[in-house]
Amino acid sequence: MRKFKTTSDIVLDIIIYIVMIFVLLVCLVPFIYMFSISISDPKAIINNQVSLFPIGINMEAYRQIFQYPNFFHAYRNTIFYTVVGTSIALVMTTLFAYPLSKSYLRGQKFAMKLVIISMFFSGGLIPNYLLISSLHLTGTVWAMLIPFAINQFNLIILVNFFKSLPEELEEAALIDGLDYFGILIKVIVPLSTPALATVGLYVAVFFWNDWFNGLIYLSTDQYPVMLFLRNIVNGTTMVGDAAGSADKSTIAISIKSAVIITSTLPIIILYPFLQKYFVKGLTVGSVKG
Amino acid sequence: MKFKKTLAVICAVAMAVSVFSGCSSKGNTSSTPEGTASTTPSSEISNEPISFSMYYSDNATLPFKDDWLTIQEIQKRVNAKIKFEVIPIADYSTKVSLALNTGNNAPDVILYQSTTGENASLALNGAIVPISDYSNLTPNFNARVKEFGLEKDVERLNLKDGKRYYLPSLFDVPFYDGGLIIRDDLLKKYNLAAPKTFDELYNVLKVFKDKNPDSYPLTILAGPRVLFRMSMPSFGISVGKNGAGGSKVLSWNYKQQKYFSGAISDEYKQYVSYLAKLYKEGLLDPEMADPIDGDKWAQKMATGKSMATYAYYDQIGGLEGASTIEGFDLQMYPALEGPAGAHHQQKNRTGAGIMFPSSTAKRTDFDRLVKTIDEMFYSEDNAKLWCLGVEGITYTMNGDKINYADGIKNSPNGIYKTMQVEYGCGSDVTQMVWINKREMTKYDENYARINAEVEAMGDVIQSIPPMPLFDDMTAEEASTLQTPLADKFEIWIDAFITGKKSIEKDWDAYVKEMKDLDIEKFCELYNDNLK
Repeated sequence: MRKFKTTSDIVLDIIIYIVMIFVLLVCLVPFIYMFSISISDPKAIINNQVSLFPIGINMEAYRQIFQYPNFFHAYRNTIFYTVVGTSIALVMTTLFAYPLSKSYLRGQKFAMKLVIISMFFSGGLIPNYLLISSLHLTGTVWAMLIPFAINQFNLIILVNFFKSLPEELEEAALIDGLDYFGILIKVIVPLSTPALATVGLYVAVFFWNDWFNGLIYLSTDQYPVMLFLRNIVNGTTMVGDAAGSADKSTIAISIKSAVIITSTLPIIILYPFLQKYFVKGLTVGSVKG
Repeated sequence: MKFKKTLAVICAVAMAVSVFSGCSSKGNTSSTPEGTASTTPSSEISNEPISFSMYYSDNATLPFKDDWLTIQEIQKRVNAKIKFEVIPIADYSTKVSLALNTGNNAPDVILYQSTTGENASLALNGAIVPISDYSNLTPNFNARVKEFGLEKDVERLNLKDGKRYYLPSLFDVPFYDGGLIIRDDLLKKYNLAAPKTFDELYNVLKVFKDKNPDSYPLTILAGPRVLFRMSMPSFGISVGKNGAGGSKVLSWNYKQQKYFSGAISDEYKQYVSYLAKLYKEGLLDPEMADPIDGDKWAQKMATGKSMATYAYYDQIGGLEGASTIEGFDLQMYPALEGPAGAHHQQKNRTGAGIMFPSSTAKRTDFDRLVKTIDEMFYSEDNAKLWCLGVEGITYTMNGDKINYADGIKNSPNGIYKTMQVEYGCGSDVTQMVWINKREMTKYDENYARINAEVEAMGDVIQSIPPMPLFDDMTAEEASTLQTPLADKFEIWIDAFITGKKSIEKDWDAYVKEMKDLDIEKFCELYNDNLK
């Protein structure tokens, strides 16, 4: 019996390993391929010799993208939006989520419904643009940071997390003389690092990847790097009047790959560091206090 | 229950408010600029540089640089301080549309625009300055139009109200910049003459296929749209995504000067039969229906998987250098003759140009601004600057002959590309005056020879058919008719070429489907709204 079970365990393990290796390859191969393309000799690429590993190492593509006039500038912008945007978002979301997690607060349900409505309905592009521009935010970095300070989805995650914290802790803190802000800062926030890390990661990835808001609200020298990436990867696909001239000029795939690698790598590197919080954050509700 | 009612009230109020706010701001933007041009000479005397902002459409292959020779020099020459808003080309229309629709944060000048599509209705609703009303402020533009004999072409850009809303770029002779390109070394190797007709092309491809059975001799750069727009005119039609005139399913009858339902015509049937034949016999790249990007295309050509293609001349050079096949030699040929004669993609002698949002007209120095723009792009000297750069730096004159600087002449990227990337010369966005002869000095002699040959053949490059003058309502009607027609057309052309549908058997069913979608009514709408 026991022996039989072990064999089946082994079989199962092998299957799991095979599946996981497959999943790993699915995730990894495109990256390796892209990386190989980006450092291969253009001649080898055009003659279809590069399959998975680079052939004839050539850093020309990287040299070229670093020469693009705005690449580093855009990169700096993106880092700024990600760091500052995430900080603002975490503070604002926490401040809103905490009161919403208290069901005895008058109007809490109503406020929650308002939040949920705005999750499903939004003003649309032009009204949003008019709003942002009548607040005189267009052309300033705040247009990138403030409108996205509170995301409903993240807010709900935090509200539910705060709800799951034992009330007795707060009662004890109240008896010890802390006011509500004190409780939030000294008790709730330190206990909520998993949830905050989760939300922080979501927000950071959002800010890192966002190009559209940058495009419509900001001016050239404030553009994020993703807009730059989009332009390089997608820039020549055009229809309409300019189609002729756009079809004429193509960008080498080595350059596209190099841009993709340089602009996605930093945010990918972030995952392993935050992963331990991330896993805890998603499962934390199920753990017994 | 009570809560739900409150919620309903709040929603209703919110909706009403948003509706009104939308209206009021639209009202603001649609205020028309002062109709008559009053000249205020006072602003011209000032020596202060005029400063204004400008939208620039940036192509990643030609990234904009603030310190380009042309950009620096032009600001000195016209005493201006320009704030360039450099916007990626893929998102240019979104940004322009937002600026014109909302009227907020609009720049003073928008480059690379025309009044097709949405812009036409924006123009008719007063979001754009009718620049034809200010022709006294654009003497240089008027002079170039007269010099090239483009009066009629420019007049055709007028909208329904008889006004023109942008300053177009001007071409003296349209370019033959792409077309059929074949491996010349293989033609010689197999003792074949260069094809002159589509039947001869078929024979050439057939030989290529026989000698190299695992090849697909004909491929296309970018996707079928390039093949379609370059070869359809020889069959007397121009339909599909990039069809001339933008109707997508109609074509222009040059003799009768009116539109006909090109997508269901016998001409089209003949054309699609020809392609289906190529496809069936393995002469046409089976991947042709997918977009073939530049890299894949180059791979197919460089590795000898394909030997003929429809593409642009600019791309030949890089390919020849990259291929490892010995003797690899590409040549471009003039348009092939089909049932309707030898024609290439239709082109206008005017192109995308300069537009002023209506907020610009409120500037007190509007007159000076328009004059500056006119001087900047259309004056003889400055037009030369956008094409050739600065004399003594990028080129020198030897009598009538242009000599480019050594660094440019010997650059591995070629004169044309080097001038673009390093100096900002010859960019579609900023060069408004195109003189064929002058442009040809930037290319090798071969290219100039082909262009001369094509020009000598007569009307190879026909003009784009006139756009119907729709008002808002008919434009709406036309676009509702057009979308399903164009979709249906795309599905069927693919099925016909790949043999999923038989042209013999299914043609009538196709015609019926298109007629059920009112292609004839759509055609009538176009013809009724011509001038």
